[in-house]
Amino acid sequence: MNQKTRVQRFSTLQRLFHLLLILTFLTQGATGLARMFIERPWGQTLAWVFGGYDACRAIHIYVGIIMLFGFGLHCLYLLFNINWRNFPGSLFGPDSLVPRPKDIKDFFQHIGWFFGIAKPPQFDRWGYWEKFDYWAVFWGIPVLGATGLLLAYSLAASRIIPGWGLNLAFWIHRIEAILAMCHVFIIHFFIGHLRRHNFPMDRAMFEGSADLETTRHERSAWVKRLETSGKINNLLVPEAGTGRRVVYYVIGYLAVASGVFLLIGGLVNSPYITW
Amino acid sequence: MLLPGAAAAQEEVASAIRRYKDREVSSGYYEEYEVLPRRQRALVGIPGVKPGVFPYSPAAAQVRIRTRLADSHQGIKFYQYLRCQYCHIHETKDMHTVRANLTCRQCHGGEPIASIAHIWSPLNPIRRHGYVCAKCHEGASASFASYIIHEPNPALASTFKSFPLLAYVFWFMAVLAAGTFLVFLPHTAMWGIRELFIKKEKPEVESED
Repeated sequence: MNQKTRVQRFSTLQRLFHLLLILTFLTQGATGLARMFIERPWGQTLAWVFGGYDACRAIHIYVGIIMLFGFGLHCLYLLFNINWRNFPGSLFGPDSLVPRPKDIKDFFQHIGWFFGIAKPPQFDRWGYWEKFDYWAVFWGIPVLGATGLLLAYSLAASRIIPGWGLNLAFWIHRIEAILAMCHVFIIHFFIGHLRRHNFPMDRAMFEGSADLETTRHERSAWVKRLETSGKINNLLVPEAGTGRRVVYYVIGYLAVASGVFLLIGGLVNSPYITW
Repeated sequence: MLLPGAAAAQEEVASAIRRYKDREVSSGYYEEYEVLPRRQRALVGIPGVKPGVFPYSPAAAQVRIRTRLADSHQGIKFYQYLRCQYCHIHETKDMHTVRANLTCRQCHGGEPIASIAHIWSPLNPIRRHGYVCAKCHEGASASFASYIIHEPNPALASTFKSFPLLAYVFWFMAVLAAGTFLVFLPHTAMWGIRELFIKKEKPEVESED
């Protein structure tokens, strides 16, 4: 039998939702950029993959609606998973994704550590960068979804808002989408894959667990907390088999490759956007 | 409401994306449909003149308020030799012109082109939705028709006067995006570099405890 060397970080449902987010986010990125760059050969090739300009539009709309449903389901999930017993307090505890003063302290201490003037911060269950990623998606989906619905169903939308509101919706949608893609394809991928701590890939979001010793090194406050309360024994799991690990790496690197392809293609063609 | 012949108008719309291949292939004839072939757009640049900085305009010397004229180009010298884009360069760069390949006349009508605020103009806001927008956007309302086709560049300072909300929204989003990257790009790069210089893990963990 395998030794239990890994600590559970994500449940199966959480990993499924992350996988769904990967698939829908990349689809939205590809179909959106294909239309944005349709005047360029790169955009035309990208659109061809999905069946052309109009098909890209249809896919973009329906996948967007799926994402909104996913967001609704996630909100339901939150309602069932909030610790209602210690309610207001549990929101600001170390197991919550709600930012707290320690995150700001950690952020500056972390930067101090980059320059060698501070000790590395002892992160708890969630690092401040992970909370930032979570809330970026949490605000991004409603913003992109709302503006996207207005633009997709512009005739109906102009009954609710004045038609010139669509000019605003277009720019909000576009800038927020560029921000989201650049953040995921540069910063999220770098933190998850390229930094030495995680290289070549942080499997936690796919496998569900992270190596205990590595986690102790980065999230010492969390591991210490688990060890004092004794909860750590319930969270220790063995490493996944080779076959499953291969699948995780393939999924992870396919997503990274698609993202980097979109990023580079978008940057190379960015001088030719029809604004 | 009595709409103009919307279906007939839709037939005239073609672009690099939605084309009328059958007509192009069989006849090579475009003018009747006010459609240009693929990859060939009207000349929007004047050789040797950089558009925008010193816009070429033979009428620039005698600008007058032309928003309520039956013929908005009334009195412009050599008008019959000019093309729309010689003066209205910005108006050739929006989605309807570039992507849907609409020509000016498809919305603004033939000569004489009335000012959009003239009482009989098809582009007057009281009937624009029915006479122009609904040609393609079936069921367009007056609210729908208030969408700004020739949208000003939202990044320009002048947009704070011409379309203030657009400028504020644009700059809010732009500052938000730029701020995120100003913080997280250096942060993440520094993080990546710093982790290259971590000593062996075990001793450091023990000394911390």
